[in-house]
Amino acid sequence: MGLTDQELFTPVGIRQIPEKPAGKQRWHHGFPWISAALMTIIVACCMGAELLMTKDPTFMDLQNCSVAPNAEFLFGTDTLGRDIFSGIWYGGRISITIGVLATVISTMIAVVYGAVSGVGPVWLDTLMMRFTEIFLSVPSLLIVLFLQAIWGEANMLSLSVAIGVTGWAGIAKVIRTEVRQIRSSEYVLASRCMGGRFFHVLRKHLAPNFLASIMFMVIMNVRTAISAESTLSFMGMGLPLEIVSWGSMLSLAEKALLTQSWWIILIPGGFLVTLLMCITNMGNYLRKAANRKESNL
Amino acid sequence: MMKQNLLLYWGKKALVFLVSVMVLSVAVFYISRLAPGDPLMSYYGERTEKMSVEEKEAAREKLGLNDPIHVQYVRWLQNALKGDFGISYKYKQDVTEVIGSRIGNTLILGGIGFVLTFLGALGLGILCAWHEDKWPDQLLCKGGTLLSCIPEFWLSLVMILVFSVTLQWLPSSGAYDVGHKHDILNRAEHLILPLTVVVLEHLWYYAYMIRNKLLEETRADYVLLGKAKGLSKKKILLGHCLRNSLPSYISLMAISVPHVLGGTYIVEKVFSYPGIGTLSFESAQYHDYNLLMVLCMLTGIVVILGNLIGGIINERIDPRIKAAEVTETSEVTWD
Repeated sequence: MGLTDQELFTPVGIRQIPEKPAGKQRWHHGFPWISAALMTIIVACCMGAELLMTKDPTFMDLQNCSVAPNAEFLFGTDTLGRDIFSGIWYGGRISITIGVLATVISTMIAVVYGAVSGVGPVWLDTLMMRFTEIFLSVPSLLIVLFLQAIWGEANMLSLSVAIGVTGWAGIAKVIRTEVRQIRSSEYVLASRCMGGRFFHVLRKHLAPNFLASIMFMVIMNVRTAISAESTLSFMGMGLPLEIVSWGSMLSLAEKALLTQSWWIILIPGGFLVTLLMCITNMGNYLRKAANRKESNL
Repeated sequence: MMKQNLLLYWGKKALVFLVSVMVLSVAVFYISRLAPGDPLMSYYGERTEKMSVEEKEAAREKLGLNDPIHVQYVRWLQNALKGDFGISYKYKQDVTEVIGSRIGNTLILGGIGFVLTFLGALGLGILCAWHEDKWPDQLLCKGGTLLSCIPEFWLSLVMILVFSVTLQWLPSSGAYDVGHKHDILNRAEHLILPLTVVVLEHLWYYAYMIRNKLLEETRADYVLLGKAKGLSKKKILLGHCLRNSLPSYISLMAISVPHVLGGTYIVEKVFSYPGIGTLSFESAQYHDYNLLMVLCMLTGIVVILGNLIGGIINERIDPRIKAAEVTETSEVTWD
């Protein structure tokens, strides 16, 4: 048939995976060093924005509107005459803060909601899970839009809360599944017999068990929140122009398109995408790490 | 007995649907009425500022804005059941008319985008699974991850910057040029950029899913049997593995409606494409309650229906899969 010996005798047994010697595989195997380094640099620069800024990022220098990058304005200026180089670090801090704050809020909601649903009686569990499904079915953009409409002019806190309360459902579902599995373990029962309150059991016994499986989702939540902030601010529904963030810097894009000022669009967006990419890589690493641990057990 | 069960099954589904829609409508109604901003502004525009207090009161009374929220809701519901959704404050037209004139555009963009995304994702997924861990797979995985990190609005901006502003190949906004309403070629030209963004943004998410599903299948025992029987790689992968992966993929398609829909809205807004998405943002900004209500309900109903159909397909094809499991994998994200 024209087959070589090699093809004829391809082993067809269970896919051969070379056995890894135990103990050789370190925790940092496959760790995304480049992403981690880039992320650290960006975050550190944003946190220490004052040290890097060459201009006041909120000062509107009307004589230098839409200036292309040059020696004085390293990344150019936007259509209002604000220095983009300073704005990147200063605004990045706000974008990152919103991302982290929103994630903290949604994670806290998710932990309590998921745990209550997990330990609660069946009817409560069903009711709560139905609600999550309805909640998940509404595009989150609409919910944030509404919340923002209620609070009127957005600030950092209101935007974080708005993004935070839309992002908990997915995590809550995972926590609920995990809690259901361990709720009748002996150590949980023992703790409850000894009079452990709900929050004590949650902190000491439940949380350590589900933390590993939600870590990936929490990291991805930061990404989603940062992306949401920029989208909303870009649409004019998030932070107003006066508050510099990556999103509100990009909301000048329409004017920038008319004058072909590419730097106003590409530079803040480039930083945004780079950071999102780094977070994704970290998240993916965590997911793989969590899965690897599971299969070994 | 069988018939009764079937009736119960569909009754349950219908009940879930109705309750979801009701909850949604109550929530949307309350939230939109509690929002600040004077709806009179959107109705009378600049004139509101010149109106006296009495005139404002009279106008509110006329529009029924003074009653308690639940009275307003019941009135809205009664009218809605009769098919009367009120008039849009901003456009001063029947809400149904305003939406009717835009919905076609959204259906074209969203529909074509949806089909292209899923066909493309299927192709890419198979390509990746075929070359598992070789360079095409690795390249696509890296590129796809990068692509999925780019927010929709920014990709749209870059597209406009490159293809409309710099190269001047394609138009950057609208659905057609003035006077070319029925010119299909002109419409297609306007559709290229928004469509590209919609497809690119979602493509990888689903391609990755089909890739992983296929790779999971290739580890199954029946693949060994096929190989032992001398079937070719192509036959096993396309004829057997793919066939086993398709059911969950199809139900995923139904569930992913909100994902794609939300993305279409943002893209519409950036490209000023006259569709439902642009209209939603507008009505939220101008507190155009009647319009906003119907738009939210419309979006919500499509999404809930999508979820329901996804669940039903799943249960039909493979009773082992519970609908919930699939929902879990289709994390609703922003893009």
